[in-house]
Amino acid sequence: MTLRTKTLTAALALTISAGGLAWAQDSTTVPMTAPADAPAMGAGGTNFVASPETTEAPTAEAEATEAPAEDAAADAAAEEEAPIDEAAAGADAVGLSAGGESVVPVETTEAVPAVEDHARLETGIEEALDPGADEEAVDPYGGGSYYGHTEDVAFSFEGPFGRFDQFQLQRGLQVYTEVCAACHGLEFVPIRTLSDRNGPGLPENQVRAYAAELLPIFDPALGEERPRVPTDHFPSIEGAGMGPDLSVMAKARAGFHGPYGTGINQLVRGIGGPEYIYSLLTGYTGQEKEEAGTLYYGNTAFPGGWISMAPPLSDDRVTYEDGTPATVEQMSLDVAAFLMWTAEPKMMERKQVGLVSVLFLILLTVLLYLTNKRLWAPHKNKPKH
Amino acid sequence: MAGIPHDHYEPKSGFERWLHRRLPVAGLLYDTLMIPTPKNLNWMWIWGIVLVFCLVLQIVTGIVLVMHYTPHVDLAFASVEHIMRNVNGGYMLRYLHANGASLFFVAVYLHIFRGLYYGSYKAPREVTWIIGMLIYLLMMATAFMGYVLPWGQMSFWGATVITGLFGAIPGVGEAIQTWLLGGPAVDNATLNRFFSLHYLLPFVILGLVIVHIWAFHTTGNNNPTGVEVRRSSKEEAARDTLPFWPYFVIKDLFALALILVVFFAIVGFMPNYLGHADNYIPANPMVTPAHIVPEWYFLPFYAILRAFDGDVWLVQLVQFLTFGIVDAKFFGVLAMFGAILVLALAPWLDTSRVRSGRYRPMFKWWFWLLAADFMLLMWVGAMPAEGIYPYIALVGSAYWFAFFLVILPLLGVIEKPDPVPATIEEDFNAHYGAKATPAE
Repeated sequence: MTLRTKTLTAALALTISAGGLAWAQDSTTVPMTAPADAPAMGAGGTNFVASPETTEAPTAEAEATEAPAEDAAADAAAEEEAPIDEAAAGADAVGLSAGGESVVPVETTEAVPAVEDHARLETGIEEALDPGADEEAVDPYGGGSYYGHTEDVAFSFEGPFGRFDQFQLQRGLQVYTEVCAACHGLEFVPIRTLSDRNGPGLPENQVRAYAAELLPIFDPALGEERPRVPTDHFPSIEGAGMGPDLSVMAKARAGFHGPYGTGINQLVRGIGGPEYIYSLLTGYTGQEKEEAGTLYYGNTAFPGGWISMAPPLSDDRVTYEDGTPATVEQMSLDVAAFLMWTAEPKMMERKQVGLVSVLFLILLTVLLYLTNKRLWAPHKNKPKH
Repeated sequence: MAGIPHDHYEPKSGFERWLHRRLPVAGLLYDTLMIPTPKNLNWMWIWGIVLVFCLVLQIVTGIVLVMHYTPHVDLAFASVEHIMRNVNGGYMLRYLHANGASLFFVAVYLHIFRGLYYGSYKAPREVTWIIGMLIYLLMMATAFMGYVLPWGQMSFWGATVITGLFGAIPGVGEAIQTWLLGGPAVDNATLNRFFSLHYLLPFVILGLVIVHIWAFHTTGNNNPTGVEVRRSSKEEAARDTLPFWPYFVIKDLFALALILVVFFAIVGFMPNYLGHADNYIPANPMVTPAHIVPEWYFLPFYAILRAFDGDVWLVQLVQFLTFGIVDAKFFGVLAMFGAILVLALAPWLDTSRVRSGRYRPMFKWWFWLLAADFMLLMWVGAMPAEGIYPYIALVGSAYWFAFFLVILPLLGVIEKPDPVPATIEEDFNAHYGAKATPAE
């Protein structure tokens, strides 16, 4: 390797790291918006402390249950005999958080179509999907509504260059705080990460104020409860009628399965989990039915078609600081993006590492190719015929 | 070192002579690195380096991951999230480790099928082949136990299903299963012992890899012609071979770099593509996932396991003949392990005197059918055991066994092989022309 190639390598390295730096700085310049709104926080806070029955505003949401736990246990016990085979049709029907999703061999991915422009996001739901690739069309399990329908969304964070939209993450945090947090925890998410520059990017004083508004935490050192600080995690919400934890929900739902169960269309449509969340939140049909004392709501995205969570969103359920109209669709998009961030907070760092690695490895490959060619040349005199 | 005649290490300086008399480590390194290698090796001979890289990658990333992981049912899932969120570069460590397992299996399958096509398993390389099969078995055990560690839903239920296989053994099965699990069901004891073994087995693999390399350095590499390197003199051997360093090291590194471009693109841009969404749900013994599917690299054998259910007449016959001792479940387990056993027995099942598939006109077709069969089984292994899929799995499994137990022994008798080149040099020159140097 000559000195010249070394210089070239160094120059490329500098270029790439400079690019990365510029990229990072770019994202820190995004101004702050919504969720620091103090009254909204306060309201959210009361929701957490009060029991679902006694809270005035979000009663409907609080009463929504994901699954009758005892029934689930009984079902699962009965099915343990033959775990290899598919036993969980029953589990689907009661809407178990875990049993409700399918498993195909190859699944989640974030991939290709990079949508940089966040303005496009607001109108960017691709309503018209390629019907041939839809799960229902090629459902290999023959279960009809087994999967439910997942709408594709062109999120800003898809593709190798995809980035979280900081405005959107902040709006999503507001939706989570004011609506979802009544029944769903984020137990694996440290509160301090809200100030990550590749996340919502809240200033530290706002994060501190936000932490203090959350449910208090039991401190074993004090022997009593104390207010949360940024180094604590979000609360985990447990108990009867409460929903599943949402920390990694965007990675725990496959969303896309096709074509033919290979999941390869995820390569161009993204991981599918946020799309699933969006589709679920916007997929209520308005139908209701009661079974064994539990109310179920018709939903086109939920496997089996009936979910025990009441429609949590309605237009203007929250008031966005940045003036974005709070339609159900918009709030669903925002909270889905926020939950992708809680599931994969290092996504932007990871993609940058991937990009730099791939570029350097391509360079290394070219150099090794030339070295190899030259090395073998004296032994190979004529080209392969 | 026995094998192909070549120049051996000569200590030159005083220190080298001093050390060589006491510990011939430099000589060992020299002989290993400068080993004469058939110069006509094609691009299917690069997977060995890729596999060594994978082993090192898995051990290095694994050792760092262990520093932050907690093997306890209440803490394992959270500690993985801790790695993803709080550990510096933890998200890369974990995704490299998880996807590294997939690269490992991609490479090992191509390595095995290369060996099958070019007859690398035939005398005198049976021991290399058998050690390779042991490494493959240990890899599967290690990968399976590693998949349990994050303690998600697939971890838990995968462990339940796979250990259940041992429970199918008549008589002692239940006792073995309890012993493996450390209790009546998958629980903390299971997680702890799997963690311990997941850390141990890679080093056993490392030891076997050294023996594997030692074995084929004794016999010499096979090559696409299957013709042995001439060994009557150093000069003749030198006309068939080139030293491993630098010719094959650089060639292999080029191939490795190219493969790593794809690997890092997957890790960087879609690290969860090969995983299951369900494993991001913490393990819950009360809730069975709708479909329990193993990782992609187990699917062909998983398909064979499920293919032999109680409706297959062969299974019913065996059940009848053994007075019900071998029931459908145990038959499936036997078939799965048998599928790997017949692969390991290939050196003794293949009766052809010609080593390389390149000169076996009938074998070629059956071989490519076997490769297609492997892909078919992989696909059908991911499908639910209902509808048409069990029949496809049964046909695929039947061909797998037929290839090794019927076709391979018969072909040696009925096939008329093509003429084989006399020497490696002849084959190489036919492709690339004779060396320009007048020394020839």
